Amino acid sequence: MRAEELKGHLDALLLAALEGGPRHGYAVIEALRQTSGGRLDMATGTIYPALRRLEDAGLVTGSWSVVAGRRRRDYRLTPAGARALAAKRADWRDFTATISAALEGTPCPDLA
Amino acid sequence: MPGPGLISDYLTELSAQLPALVVEELADGLDQTRQYYLDLGLDQAAATAAALAEFGPPPVIVAAFTRISPARRTARTLLAAGPVVGACWATALLTGRAWAWPVPLAGRVVFGLVLIGVIGLLATAAFGSKYRSVGRAGIAGCIGISAIDAAMLITVTLDVPAVIGPMALAVTASAVRLIFTARALRPVLTG
Repeated sequence: MRAEELKGHLDALLLAALEGGPRHGYAVIEALRQTSGGRLDMATGTIYPALRRLEDAGLVTGSWSVVAGRRRRDYRLTPAGARALAAKRADWRDFTATISAALEGTPCPDLA
Repeated sequence: MPGPGLISDYLTELSAQLPALVVEELADGLDQTRQYYLDLGLDQAAATAAALAEFGPPPVIVAAFTRISPARRTARTLLAAGPVVGACWATALLTGRAWAWPVPLAGRVVFGLVLIGVIGLLATAAFGSKYRSVGRAGIAGCIGISAIDAAMLITVTLDVPAVIGPMALAVTASAVRLIFTARALRPVLTG
């Protein structure tokens, strides 16, 4: 999947990658690579500003650590981030169920 | 060894625009990306080229950070609020017969020029694509708009006997903007 196809979903993907615990920027990218089987094709450099944007929004917090003499920034999901992730998951399920039903010509399942 | 040299050039290009802490984080990520490709069996040069390609061109990264810079966010808020505060003052000055105030012509001209300059600075910060120039314009715009609000508040305090009606509304609008700008200035300065 190309970067433009992922627009609008990047925040949810990053929040999901941080759900299991704190990760630094590259570990987030690795997690997305592993969970997608390498099919998410994103410019790695743009993940970092996206993480900063989520931090500004209060959905993740960042903190510095030192690893092998190099400073590294770790990100952790906040309670607001966890709530945002749950909401984005629900929206996504609703969206995919609706579009799938429309594409396959079947009645849309009741998601309520 | 060509690999690290290319990375050094890449980071130098980023350093020309982005804060040191941001570049430090990117350098760590770039190093790990390069290591990932080395672990896959690529040689130094190929691993470096693959890591740089995966990261994307520096202008794209700089543009992404510029879009989220505190200076840009603050400048856009101030530009959006500007017409509201301006309308409050226009109403207050017209109803308060401000043309009769004892403010010298030179002072009025300077005020007008400063106002135009500040709007230009805020527009540069709000719509510019270079992180550093957006930051500098944002800082100057914040200081300029604060000076304008402070000048208006001082002038009203000295020259207007009773701050009521539209004048009270305009004073409140400027005071609120002054407080907002003061609070926003810290992240703009450190961003």
